[in-house]
Amino acid sequence: MTRALWTHLLKDLRIEWRSKEAINSMLFFALLVVVLFSLAFDPRGAFSRDIAGGVLCVATMFASVSALNQAWAREIRHQVLDAQRMAPTPGAELFLAKVLANFLFVSIVQIVLAPVFLVMYNLRVEGNAWLLALVLPLATWALVANGTFFAALSIRSRNRELLLPLILFPIFMPALLAMVLATTAILTGESDPSLWIKLLVGYDIIFTTVSLLLFDVIFHAE
Amino acid sequence: MDPATVLDHQFVVAAYTVTWVLQLGYLTWLGLKWRSEKRNAARRTDHSR
Amino acid sequence: MKKIGIALYAMATVALMIWGFYQAIYVAPDDALQGYIFRIIYYHVPSASVAFVFFAVSLLGSVGFLANRRGHTEWAQVADAWAVAGAEVGVVFCTVVLITGPIWGRRAWGIWWTWDARLTTTLVLWLIYVSYLLLRRFAAGPQVQTLAAVLGIFGALDVPIVYMSNRWWRTQHPAPVFGGDPGSGMKDPQMLQAFGWNMLAWFAWGIFILILRFNVERKHQQYAEEEAQEALAANI
Repeated sequence: MTRALWTHLLKDLRIEWRSKEAINSMLFFALLVVVLFSLAFDPRGAFSRDIAGGVLCVATMFASVSALNQAWAREIRHQVLDAQRMAPTPGAELFLAKVLANFLFVSIVQIVLAPVFLVMYNLRVEGNAWLLALVLPLATWALVANGTFFAALSIRSRNRELLLPLILFPIFMPALLAMVLATTAILTGESDPSLWIKLLVGYDIIFTTVSLLLFDVIFHAE
Repeated sequence: MDPATVLDHQFVVAAYTVTWVLQLGYLTWLGLKWRSEKRNAARRTDHSR
Repeated sequence: MKKIGIALYAMATVALMIWGFYQAIYVAPDDALQGYIFRIIYYHVPSASVAFVFFAVSLLGSVGFLANRRGHTEWAQVADAWAVAGAEVGVVFCTVVLITGPIWGRRAWGIWWTWDARLTTTLVLWLIYVSYLLLRRFAAGPQVQTLAAVLGIFGALDVPIVYMSNRWWRTQHPAPVFGGDPGSGMKDPQMLQAFGWNMLAWFAWGIFILILRFNVERKHQQYAEEEAQEALAANI
C-alpha cells in the first residue's frame, strides 16, 4: 500500500473512531429494517431462511447509503476536497482508501448485526456456513465501491442524498441478485451458490477497475 | 364478438393510445423547449447590440 | 431549402405511421395463438428497438465527450448533445415499451409482468437512464457533462451483466418468457409486412425526434456558453 493510501485510510478510520457517527447511524438503520421486516413478514422456520438473504441485503443497502452520503460530506466542509485535489497523489488512492474505510464500517455493522439476525429469524444454516463469510464481504465490497464512487459523483448536486440511491441501485442490481440468491442458497442448502459467488467476484473486479480508472475524471471535473 | 375479443380490442386500443399520448406529449414538450431556446437566442442578440 | 427538406421528411414520417397503422390493424391477420391482442407487437417491438439503438447513441456520445473534452472541445459538446438526446428520447421509447408490454402480457399470457432476463434488463436500463437524466437535472455546475458521461458508461457496462445474471437465474427457476424472439413466430407475409412498415415508421419518427432534441440541446449549449462569456466580459 502506498503511503498516500495508508494516510487517507488512517485519517478516515481515526475520524470515525472519534465520532462513531457513521457506524451508529448505520447500525440503527439496519436494525430498524430487520425489525420492520420481521413485523411485516413474521418469519418462521423455512420461510425465514428464504427471506433472510433478501432482508439482510436490503438492511445493508439502506444502512450503507446513510453512511455513504456522509462519506464525502466531511471532505467538502472546510474545503478539504479542494486541498485533496491539489495534492500530487492520484485521486484513485483517495478513492480506494475511502472504499476500504467504508467497507470496514459496513462489515463491522454486519458482524454486529449477524447474531441479532440469527436470533430474530431463528436461523439455522443448512448449507456451508463458512461460504457466508465469502459472500457477504463480496457483496459489501460491490455496494461500497460503487456507492463511494457515485457519492463522489453526486457531490455537487442539489439533491445529493436522493440522487445517490437513485443512481446506485439500478447499477447495483446484479450484485444484489447474486448476494440474495447466494445467501438463500447457503441458508436453505437447497441449491448451489457457486455461480452467484462467481458473478459477485466478476462484478467486483469489473466495477472496481472501472471506478479506479474513472475516479480521477470525476474528481477533477471542472 | 365474444367478451374476450372485446377485451382484447380494448387492450390494443389502450396500448396504441398510451404510445401516442407519450410520443405526442414529448413532441409537444420538445416544441416548447425549442421555442424557448429560440427566444433566448433572440434575446441575447438583442443584448449584444 | 432545409425547411422544405424537414417538412418533406415530417410528412413522409406521418405517412409511414398512417400506413403502418393501417397494416397493423386492417391488413395483418389475427395471430393463430394469441388472436387480436398480438397486434400490440407492431408498436411494442419497434419501440424497443429504437430505445436500445438510442441508448447506444447516448453511450457513444458519453464516450465521445470524455475523449474530446480536453482536446476538440467543440466535438465534445456535440458528443454531449448526442448523449443527452439519445438518453432522453430513449427513455420516452423505453417507457412506451414498459407500458405496452404488460398490457400485451396481461391478455396474451395472463400476467402483467415476469422477472425474466429481457423484461428485467429493460426495466433496469430504464432506471439507469432515468437516473442519468436526474443527475443532469440536479447536478449543478460545469462538471455536469463529465459526471453524466461517466454515469452513462457505468450504466452501459451494467446492462450485459444484468441480462446474463437474470438468464442464469432463469435457468434455475424457469418462468414464463414473454414473446420469445419477435421475428421467429411470424411466418405470415402480411404480418411480416406490417411489422416491417411499423419498424420503418417508428425509426423514422424516432430519428426525427432525436435530431430535434439534439438541436435543442446544441442551442441550449450555445446560449449557456455565450451567457458565461458575457458574465466573464462584464467582470473585466
